[in-house]
Order: sequence, then C-alpha cells, then structure tokens
Amino acid sequence: MKPAYHACMDGIGWAGSAMAAARSRLEIATQNLANTSSDGFRKLRAQGRLTESGVQIEAARSFEQGGLRHTGRSDDLAIIGAGAFVVRKSNGQVTETRNGAFVRDRFGRRCDDAGNRLVGMKLAPGSSVRSGFLESSDVNPISEMIDVLSAQRSFESAEKTLSSIDQTRQKASNELARLK
Amino acid sequence: MNRAMYAAATGMAAQQINLDTVANNLANADVAGFKGAAASFTDLAAPGSVGFGTASIGSHTIFEQGKLMKSGGPFDLAIDGSGFFAVRNAKGERAYTRDGEFSRDSGGRLRNAQGWVLDGVRIPAEATTVSVAPDGLTTAQTPRGAVVCGRIRLAEFAAPERLESIGGTLFRTTQQSGSAAFVNAGAERGPHIKFGMLEHSNVSIIESMMEILAAQRAYEANAKGVQAADEMLRIANNLNRG
Repeated sequence: MKPAYHACMDGIGWAGSAMAAARSRLEIATQNLANTSSDGFRKLRAQGRLTESGVQIEAARSFEQGGLRHTGRSDDLAIIGAGAFVVRKSNGQVTETRNGAFVRDRFGRRCDDAGNRLVGMKLAPGSSVRSGFLESSDVNPISEMIDVLSAQRSFESAEKTLSSIDQTRQKASNELARLK
Repeated sequence: MNRAMYAAATGMAAQQINLDTVANNLANADVAGFKGAAASFTDLAAPGSVGFGTASIGSHTIFEQGKLMKSGGPFDLAIDGSGFFAVRNAKGERAYTRDGEFSRDSGGRLRNAQGWVLDGVRIPAEATTVSVAPDGLTTAQTPRGAVVCGRIRLAEFAAPERLESIGGTLFRTTQQSGSAAFVNAGAERGPHIKFGMLEHSNVSIIESMMEILAAQRAYEANAKGVQAADEMLRIANNLNRG
C-alpha cells in the first residue's frame, strides 16, 4: 500500500512542517495556559496527523471535568457531567458555556459578568447541576508547561534537521562545482 | 509564534488582574463591612483557530455574610442577613454600606468614619445611653425617660452584585442594580440589626493567600510561554545563515 505521504515532500519540506507543527503545539499550550483562571474552560489538546503536506496539528476540545470550587454563592452553578449553560448575548446571539458564575440582574434573572443572560441548560442524562460551586478551568499548568518545553525542543530539533539538510546540499553544490 | 506569544501575554494580563483583585481583598481583610470581589475570565475563542488567549469579563462583589463580632462601640451596628445601611454625605449624595461603625456627631446624627450620615435617626443631646432593637427602632435614655429617636431601615436591591463600589465600604446604585427598596429589619425570615456588633470582612486570608500563590505561578507559566515563543522566533530568524 502506498503511504499517504509520498514523493512530493523532501527532507526540508518535512522538517519545515515539523517546525510548523511545533508552532501549533506551542499555540495550543499557551492558549491553555492563558486560561488557567477561566472558569468552565475546557482545554485544547494537540492531535498530530500525517498528511501529504507533512505533519498537521489539530486542536481538539477536552471533555475532562474541571474541579469544583466551593464559593457558597447560591447563584454560582456548576455542571457535573456533560452539558452546558445556554446564554443569550445582548445582540440576541445564543452561545453555550460551562462557566456558571452568574449574578442577578435587576429583574432577578441570572446573568454572567458581561451581562449575558442565562436562558437554559443542556444536560446529558446523568448530569447534574450544583449550586454554590464553580467549575474551575481543567487546565493543568504543569502539563502545559511540559508541552511548551516539548514544543520548543521539537522546534529546535526540526530546525537542526533542516539546517543539516541545507548544509549537505550546500556542500554538494559547492564541491560538485569545484570538481568541474 | 506571534499568536502563541500574544495568547501567553493575555494570560499574564489576566493573572495581573487576578492578583490586583485578591490583593485588594487581602488589604481590606480587617475592614469591618468590607466585601471581597472576584474577577472572571473567559477564553478568546475564534472559529476555526486555537484562539487568542483570555480576556477579563469583569468582576463582581461577593456579598456573602461576614462574621459578626461583639465590638463594644456605643453606636456599632451590624446586619445579620441581606440589606445595607443607607448613608448620605454633606452634598446629599447617597451610598449604601454594610459597615456599621458609627459615631455620634454634635448634631445627634450617626456618622461613619468617612463622615457619611446614617438615615433615619437623630439622638437628642441629653441622651445618656442609646440602644437599637433588631427591627432598627432606636431609643435613647434621657433624664426625661426613654425617647424614640427614629428607626433604621435597610436598603435592599434586586441585583446587589451590580452595585458600584465607590471606595471604602461604600456602594452606589447603578442602572443594573435597580434602586433601593427600604425594608424594616426584624421580620422572622428577614435581616436583623445587631446592636453593639460589627460585621467583619468576608475575606478569608487563607483562601486569598492560596489564590495569590496560584496567580503568581500561573503568571510565571504564561511568562515562560512568551519566552518560548520568543526563543522559537529567534531560531526561525536564524534559519537563513547564508
């Protein structure tokens, strides 16, 4: 069987795609790190895939439950299990979020800090909602730091590979020219 | 790498806001009637891409009840339950507070430390002792006998978390909070006024310290993200060594 990656890529192309992949991994890790304090945030996971144009990184949303933090505020809600809060923005747009930090508006309705109104919940069977708790971001800063380091190192080694292929070619072209 | 760098930078900015909020809570941990605040963040998501980091979506005050402590001040008041003391300054501006540390001025008014006057009571000059009942009824003992000198009523809001802090422990109404509805204290299920007590701040020092440690580490981790992005840019720039 013919592999999915074939002759249209040379070594430099592969090394280049590995550098781009490392960059994407860094982007995902920094996006996760930046959201360590965003309640209800679900981290992104880098998934590598071989394509005809090299390694491609795709970001997949994790479905890990974030830790529950006790706040004691009755308007704070946390979903245990799969599900989401449905909020309506002031422009009518409806979005879903796992962040259950709500406050009351003057009509007694639950809103988030940006003023988006809670209009419903989507709960999978078996999921439940706890009042007085918030779901923390499921980002683990330690593993993200490891990802930052590992992305940086793979970037460096891909660069070394690229440079050495480049040097080989340089040598080939210079010395072949001298032979002539 | 630039996107990674900016995402990490938004993370640093978020932790800075986090630290500011917690530091302010901590600085006021010993202020009677102070209410802590919490900042919220959300991810800056973009369809079809990883996203651009995080953004602050504002903060809200946490009006959880603080501990009530016997204080011994002759005009100290505390609210057990919801509601606020309504006070007014010399310019006639209104504010609302949970801080019941009052003292009597020469005109017989109860004033707080910032000089704001409590609504609803005036104590006669000849009064020897004053007492406030759980329902806010204030009576003074004078040589003529007991005299009623007014009733302290509490202000309730539809959305207290939308009140705006104007420094100290004072809040003012906003469009989102709704206007004050005045209620009598002392109802069976409603708030009570406790005389001779003060409400401590609702800030937990231990929790705040833990939040500071977490924010500091998260800040460092994001700074490392910026550094890594920078380092990778440097390497990319050196690719063409000629």
